[in-house]
Amino acid sequence: MPRYTGVTPSASLRSSPASPRLPPFWSLVEAHGEELLAHARRLSGPDHAEDVLQDALLRALRAYPRLRHADHLRAWLYRVTTTTAIDAHRSRRRELPVEEVPAVAVEDDRDDFEALIAPLPETSRVALRLRFVDDLDYEGVADALGCSPVAARQRVSTAVRSLRERHLA
Amino acid sequence: MTPLPDSLLDSLASAAVREGLADAVFTRLDTPIGRLLVVQGPRGLVRIGFAEEPEDAVLAQVAGRLGPRLVASDRELGPVRDALSAYLEGEGDRLDLPVDLEMVAAPFRRHVLETLHREVGRGEVVTYGALAERSGNPRAARAVGTACARNPVPLVVPCHRVLPGSGGIGAYGGGVARKRVLLALEGALPD
Repeated sequence: MPRYTGVTPSASLRSSPASPRLPPFWSLVEAHGEELLAHARRLSGPDHAEDVLQDALLRALRAYPRLRHADHLRAWLYRVTTTTAIDAHRSRRRELPVEEVPAVAVEDDRDDFEALIAPLPETSRVALRLRFVDDLDYEGVADALGCSPVAARQRVSTAVRSLRERHLA
Repeated sequence: MTPLPDSLLDSLASAAVREGLADAVFTRLDTPIGRLLVVQGPRGLVRIGFAEEPEDAVLAQVAGRLGPRLVASDRELGPVRDALSAYLEGEGDRLDLPVDLEMVAAPFRRHVLETLHREVGRGEVVTYGALAERSGNPRAARAVGTACARNPVPLVVPCHRVLPGSGGIGAYGGGVARKRVLLALEGALPD
């Protein structure tokens, strides 16, 4: 027998009126998947690229409903892929201490924000971009970074502090 | 550039479903009545689109209602694909798949479609007036027509089994030709 459990639409299933009109996630995967795989290949090499991209897209999916605007989604996916590649590299390096940290290309390094954060290490820059460019809350940053919200907040505040020290010094 | 491997897409979608991250899962299915876009939410099928309906629009409509985390997976919807294929090839006597009429905002229209899904089986037909009556409002034949025309889950909620009281085959959201094929498939095509 067919089941009808949804007599009234559940409010929790619907996006609230304030949330942005995000495109279906899979449309992004189908539109940008190929270039993201190429990006992952450049960062992590052919042996690891697919695992990295799969992990990155899962992280992106976790954070997706918390994005506060639907702008620059492609750049955001590049960013999540980059972070994931760095994390994967770190965990591999723990096993294989001979490898080098990959030289990571920054996608949108034109604007003032990028110039401001340029001196910081990549991890700090990524945390700052997720928080202030993508406008994610700390849970969203945590999902994208694959860490706890507390750790995400620490990463952002550490980055802000070193930025402040650098510019006040 | 090389396209994304199916293995990557499949395991991404399955991991998303396993973690409860998917608001809905969809699949594209080639059938004798053309390609179908089949979308399932957490509680059942929410949308079936015929080939003429722009896929982007259908998926955006579902995303607007259930949430934006849509993933595609033939594997996760394997049983649904098998059931629809078997039905459309004339095998299996009942298309017994759970349906979630979340996409239908108007309560009466939703009630009409629930009644239709529950009560009008394969090989049976019903008139708009009779379905209005069974839905508790005998004078609402016109509203029943609207409910059928906007049925988000055709085939499974069998609006092709609803015919005009004045005879003939009447209209169909997926085109009269498809209605004819479906009724013939069920041995219920009126003369």
